[in-house]
Amino acid sequence: MSTFTIILVVLAIGLAGAFLGYRHSRALQAPAGVKPHSRPVYHASYVASWAIIPSLLLLAVWLIASPIVIESQVRGSFPEGVLAESQLTEDLAYGIVESLGNGLSVLPDDERATVTDEMPVKDLAALLRNRGLPVASASADWMVPLALDIDTMQFWSRLAMTVVVIALALAGAYWGYRQIAPRLRARNKVEGVVKGALIAASSIAIMTTIGIVFSMLFETIDFFSRISPAEFFFGTVWEPRFSAAGSTGNAGSFGFIPLLAGTLYISAVAMLIAVPIGLFAAIYMAEYADNRTRSVVKPLLEVLAGIPTIVYGFFALVTVGPFLRDLSAQISGIVTGDYASFIQAQSVLTAGLVMAIMLIPFVSSLSDDIITSVPQSLRDGSLGLGATRSETVKRVILPAALPGIVSALLLTASRAIGETMIVVLAAGVAANLTINPFDAMTTITVKIVAQLTGDLEFNSPQTLVAFALGMTLFVITLCLNVYALYIVRKYKEQYE
Amino acid sequence: MMENIQATLNRGPAVQAAKPIKMKTKDVTVHYGAKQALNGVTLNIPENQVTALIGPSGCGKSTYLRCLNRMNDTIDIAKVGGEILLDGEDVYDPDIDVVELRARVGMVFQKPNPFPKSIFDNVAYGPKIHGLARSKQELDEIVHTSLRRAGLYKEVHDRLDEPGTGLSGGQQQRLCIARAIAVSPEVILMDEPCSALDPIATATVEELIDELRENYTIVIVTHSMQQAARVSQLTAMFHLGDLAEVGPTEKMFSNPDDKRTQDYITGRFG
Repeated sequence: MSTFTIILVVLAIGLAGAFLGYRHSRALQAPAGVKPHSRPVYHASYVASWAIIPSLLLLAVWLIASPIVIESQVRGSFPEGVLAESQLTEDLAYGIVESLGNGLSVLPDDERATVTDEMPVKDLAALLRNRGLPVASASADWMVPLALDIDTMQFWSRLAMTVVVIALALAGAYWGYRQIAPRLRARNKVEGVVKGALIAASSIAIMTTIGIVFSMLFETIDFFSRISPAEFFFGTVWEPRFSAAGSTGNAGSFGFIPLLAGTLYISAVAMLIAVPIGLFAAIYMAEYADNRTRSVVKPLLEVLAGIPTIVYGFFALVTVGPFLRDLSAQISGIVTGDYASFIQAQSVLTAGLVMAIMLIPFVSSLSDDIITSVPQSLRDGSLGLGATRSETVKRVILPAALPGIVSALLLTASRAIGETMIVVLAAGVAANLTINPFDAMTTITVKIVAQLTGDLEFNSPQTLVAFALGMTLFVITLCLNVYALYIVRKYKEQYE
Repeated sequence: MMENIQATLNRGPAVQAAKPIKMKTKDVTVHYGAKQALNGVTLNIPENQVTALIGPSGCGKSTYLRCLNRMNDTIDIAKVGGEILLDGEDVYDPDIDVVELRARVGMVFQKPNPFPKSIFDNVAYGPKIHGLARSKQELDEIVHTSLRRAGLYKEVHDRLDEPGTGLSGGQQQRLCIARAIAVSPEVILMDEPCSALDPIATATVEELIDELRENYTIVIVTHSMQQAARVSQLTAMFHLGDLAEVGPTEKMFSNPDDKRTQDYITGRFG
């Protein structure tokens, strides 16, 4: 049975258990003087919890553990020659054996029957290729019996899993059902289950973050074992020199400074434009606009936030960039008589400008919420003293909302730093180190994409550098967010 | 009911003639959207006296108070009709400067609402925006005088740079009063200034109100009949958007003419 079917069966058992539990609970005759502790719906949930939770947990553990057990079994019977080679070769060999094994379970029964321990690996690979499963570099005949082993073990493991999980679900449902009694504190126990589910949900988010960090961490360490951190962090030339697959040599410069500079420069230009506009829009909406205007303008502004960034990229590429280039040509023509544009079609300015348009709704929407949450009593107090609206905003509302606004701006900044598509199309991919905003520059995210796409050997520093870049970017945005939290905490204490 | 109002209107000016009139209101109506909150209130507010507005919740007394310095302007759907005169000048005249009006008619709110700034900056806020002080010394002078008048100076003089929000509830409310008198208003409107305070803080604020009467005209909305009796000279009773009765406080609490006033102060409703 497939995993999905098993889950469905378990859920069906839980549902049936809940239904029976509900009926049983309704029919319960409480002894005189004893008030039933929980309503029938809690008894039903209690039975369902017993049926579903333990069996699904077991299923999850089994799914994780089974491949690990099989792998260690199979590796144990690898030929001596392979074991003597490097870890990498062994991993590779296991990968091939595993895909052969997985392929076997797809074959129809009559073809499956022809596969024996003595079958040459070439024939098996051909068989699989006919079924649309190409197995690259399946070269050694000793792999066939092991693949058969894997197939057999997988079959039995799955069968055992199906039986055990469903049996556990049934046993759980029975156990829960037997427990139903007038004084069973099913309500409190269901509360515990709810709490557990909530904790599980939030820990999944945290675990995922940790998992992402670690997945980058090992590759990053690998990268730094080949290229020295000093060269990476302080180098001013970015020229990784794409190494073709198979060729060796770490030639290339991995100076990270031009990328960092480009990232910060473009983000700074974007923030410089987006923050005043977004903040003013937020102040208008929160303080001046009446409800009718607000109900129209706010959703309109938020539509901007819903536009995919690649569309902003088009906008930059076909409209803003050429416009700025032609404009600069006109200006230089008027000033010097020479119609040479001094703004490149792809430039820091173009990217910053278009990114700013993307950021405006973030700034305004976040700030609007924060400004609106400043208590009305402060507004009344200021207006009651004869202050104008703008004086009230400047001297009372903004100072009171400042910590929130600062953290909103830092969140926006992390978004600007992480932006990729707009930069690719608007500022180009050239890793220049310049202070001229009319020149092309590029950012960390763009280079991560560039290093990971294309036909590259996964093991080369040219590819691994993407992880180092990603890790650095992660640390930068993490620092920004932590700083935002710190600011909010610090000023909150002061004001409340 | 009409007779009562008529009787009240006829009687009103005669009773109030003793002191010069600071604010005159005639047929003031307020609509919140389609709902009418005030049905034509005619009331004269005498100078250098405390006028108390009493009545059950939702009777329109706070709404009326907020008309006097046009704080209702900040509510989109509020529409004010009738005539409100401050020293004979129409408050709702399109030519009038609302900002200047609010400097002349200050306001203290139900919940103490100090700004998230230092004690000094709270009081200096009004003088700064109105340019009342030409130098730092003048500003210091205004702040210290206002704090003294509000009876807060002794308690806070050594910590003027601490946040105003760190004071106790009663101190915060006196800080708000100091903030209001720092712009030298002529009239101070108080919207249930003691409802968020404990009895001791209330007593302090009430004493303060009594002292402030010398220099300012005060209009106070209160839920507490005892408070109205203690601090006010003139009492106006509101009921369901009408002015039920107005008269000298002593008379209102000993021998009211209107049945509704009688019922209210004896605790039969409200």
